Amino acid sequence: MKGWQRWLVVALGVLLLGSIPPVLAALPATESDVTASELLASVRSSDEVAFTGYAETVGGLVLPVTQDFTDLVDLFGERSRLRAWWAGPDDWRVDELTATGETGVFHRSGASVLWNYEDSSATLAADPVVRLPRAADLLPSALGQRLLSEAGAEEVSRLPAERIAGRDALGLRLVPSDERTTIDRVDVWVDPSTGVPLKVEVYGADATVAAVRSRFLEFTPGAPDPEATWFVTPPGVDLSFTEVIDVAEAANQFAPAVTPDELAGLARRSGLVSIGSLGQYGRGVTLLTAAAVWDDLSRPLRDQLEGTPGAVIDENGVYVSAGPIGLLLTPGSRERSSWLIAGTVDAATLAAAAAEVRQIPVPDR
Amino acid sequence: MITTTQLTKRYGGILAVDGVSLDVQPGDIYGFLGANGSGKTTTVRMVLGLVLATSGSVDLLGRRMPRAGRAVLPRVGALVEGPAAYGHLSGRANLALLDSSGTGGTRRSRSTRIDAVLEQVGLAAVGRRPVKAYSLGMRQRLGLAAALLRQPELLVLDEPTNGLDPQGIREIRELIQGLHRRGTTVFLSSHLLAEVEQLCTRVGVLDRGRLVLQDSLASLQRPTGRTVVHTPDHERAHVLLDGRVEHREGERLIVRGADPAALNALLVADGVRVRELGPERRTLEQVVLAATEHPDHQVGVS
Amino acid sequence: MIRTELVKTLRRPRTWVTILLLNALPTLVAVLLALTDLGPRPGSGPAFLSAVLADGTLFPLAALAIILPLFLPVAVAVVAGDSVAGEAQQGTLRYLLVRPVSRTRLLVAKLVAVIAFVLLAVVVVAAVAYVVGSVLLGDQALAASVSGTVLTPAQVAVRTLLAIGYITLSMLGVAAIALLLSTMTDSPLAAALGALAFLIASSLLLTLDAAQTLQPYLPTRYWLAFVDLFRDPIFWRDIVRGIGLQAVYVVVFLGAAWANFTTKDITS
Repeated sequence: MKGWQRWLVVALGVLLLGSIPPVLAALPATESDVTASELLASVRSSDEVAFTGYAETVGGLVLPVTQDFTDLVDLFGERSRLRAWWAGPDDWRVDELTATGETGVFHRSGASVLWNYEDSSATLAADPVVRLPRAADLLPSALGQRLLSEAGAEEVSRLPAERIAGRDALGLRLVPSDERTTIDRVDVWVDPSTGVPLKVEVYGADATVAAVRSRFLEFTPGAPDPEATWFVTPPGVDLSFTEVIDVAEAANQFAPAVTPDELAGLARRSGLVSIGSLGQYGRGVTLLTAAAVWDDLSRPLRDQLEGTPGAVIDENGVYVSAGPIGLLLTPGSRERSSWLIAGTVDAATLAAAAAEVRQIPVPDR
Repeated sequence: MITTTQLTKRYGGILAVDGVSLDVQPGDIYGFLGANGSGKTTTVRMVLGLVLATSGSVDLLGRRMPRAGRAVLPRVGALVEGPAAYGHLSGRANLALLDSSGTGGTRRSRSTRIDAVLEQVGLAAVGRRPVKAYSLGMRQRLGLAAALLRQPELLVLDEPTNGLDPQGIREIRELIQGLHRRGTTVFLSSHLLAEVEQLCTRVGVLDRGRLVLQDSLASLQRPTGRTVVHTPDHERAHVLLDGRVEHREGERLIVRGADPAALNALLVADGVRVRELGPERRTLEQVVLAATEHPDHQVGVS
Repeated sequence: MIRTELVKTLRRPRTWVTILLLNALPTLVAVLLALTDLGPRPGSGPAFLSAVLADGTLFPLAALAIILPLFLPVAVAVVAGDSVAGEAQQGTLRYLLVRPVSRTRLLVAKLVAVIAFVLLAVVVVAAVAYVVGSVLLGDQALAASVSGTVLTPAQVAVRTLLAIGYITLSMLGVAAIALLLSTMTDSPLAAALGALAFLIASSLLLTLDAAQTLQPYLPTRYWLAFVDLFRDPIFWRDIVRGIGLQAVYVVVFLGAAWANFTTKDITS
């Protein structure tokens, strides 16, 4: 064999090996004539479906917030790798994998054990009324079910099927009808046999890159090993208990003022304990959250927000948007608490909400 | 044993070897002469399959190279452009490693074979010392030992006496002659005329990539048809021989005619004293110089 | 031929010096940990390093995590870069080839010898780290997996062996690249540096979001997946991909080395 013939063999080999992934990715998915509303119904009834899976989520948002929200920043700004064992809504485990460790949530019967390998810590906490989003919420199944839970049949349409996690997933697009929302559309691909969302993409208005993307890379329906979701405290680790798992819950429990039943024309969401000071409003993907916060939390947050490029400062406070998420912090002082309002609504709605909550009397410290 | 036809090697625009057709017969000690840079080493490397020819072919022990290298190279011993060994290992260990990395020569006989060749090249006493402690001459002998390890039919030696002292050179020469007597064909490349003249039966001369001469030493050195006469009476001789003297240099006359006996009789009969008389033979040096000084050799750059 | 190359590797003083050096840093780290009892902050520092404070028998893993990103690949690049170029530089390559040794077989034997070296190095590092870890940091009957479940010593032992195997295989890509470069130059140093440049580029691209489409093809992409062996249940996905990727690297670069070396003029 001549030299160039050998190189030809090698080049062909490289070409062949290199073309395997794209060819596999381009395998066509089998389409189905299920209607959009049938598909929506199957997603809504899928929360009892048991499965095991591996998912990756990518957030495209840069949240201009402070240390108290670090987890949130990572969640929406970076890539997370999640393993899930899902026996049902009240018996599951989701592990977020990092290069050198793992944080896990073992959930059973209204309580969670939060495991952190690198801290060698295990914390038991009852499910709070409100909390910040965490990695498990971004699992395509959980995220898709949540985003579609209040969608109307007229808001959804079909998208072409795709191959996801080796399965033919049927596409469903949600275009919210509420004009106040900053969410342009939510694309969900659904496993036709179980109704579990396998891939979710959330787009803000005028965005070409998804604000949040989440997809299963491995998905196996069927009950996981019961031991997989059961936490046994390993030797050398103390299981601790906590009452407050994050700042959202803290705000709810210790906030200085109570939120109104309606804000900027959006109704308070039911299902929350009403004495809570953190109010959640809206429907579907048009959501608004408001809470009064003490100065020690709001002051650093205000500094951060005011220093963010694109921040708008007016009499209602400082407004910043990150993709479809808007944040508004009303003025306050050491003695006087301020209001933090955030949500997937446009600037005008946030401003209207700010104007309303500023009328609510807050106690001086 | 070695036949090349129109062997050519071109490096970019440079012709290193140009149409060389070697013919090494069984039983030869073939002297491959050429100045440094004349393409000797490239030719040797092509013969051994280390360098691939641009065109032309090589047959080694009757088989086409480099394809048949696996079959014929075990029957060839080679020393190419100086010896090489792993410095941290002993001479013995080096030989054992080299022997075990290819076919030909069984493992059982390895130890005895190594002892024998170390003895042969005169390294028996230092075989267990690490090679980095060897002198250049000792390394050269170790390289020879490696070439001899499987009693090859053909020895290809590139400058085998490099770095050896006169005593060592004589030992190597005797070694080669001994091997030759036992039937080994030797292909010896060298830039030393004397070495080739003393050892070889056939000579090929390479000049700037071209084989300018290839013949047996005997026929290169055959009588030229003239006779050399040394005589104190050179003027009388000159007159006597009238026109047959081609050249005179002091008392030395070069006379046309290939019959020294008749010439001697003629001179002595006329009372010319002859001190020395014999047929003229050219030295290898003269032959080589004559061949390489040919004016139309514009090789090298094309 | 493979046997001969293994003998050559084992009898080379450099092999043992390299292994000794590879052991130096983990041992130093163990001593420092034992003296100060200070683990790295979460998310920083090599994997398993905070866990060894509780259980010294996990120190082999921490030691492997310490040498994996830089020291081990440097050693592999040096050894593999030297494999053909070193023989060429000493002149022994021409004698091997006229011995004769088939050029293809020589390449394969060299790669096998490099991998044997890696395995030897990794096993020695793990063994030394086990002794150092148990003596300096103490041990525990049961260890926690990364996922928070309990591992018996037998499970830890099996998974450590798997990790050793995986890390060894992870070096195949570097070895194949260095071997290719080694056939292209007569300078072992140039070959080793070339392979290292490739690795540094790969590590850099891994941190770059813009290079996301390239990342699954980078040789260092799945190196840290040995941590996945200590999740519970074992997370095989990246490990399988890592092994597959290394196999592709071997096929491609050994193939290129073959194409280059078998038709190359040996002028050294």
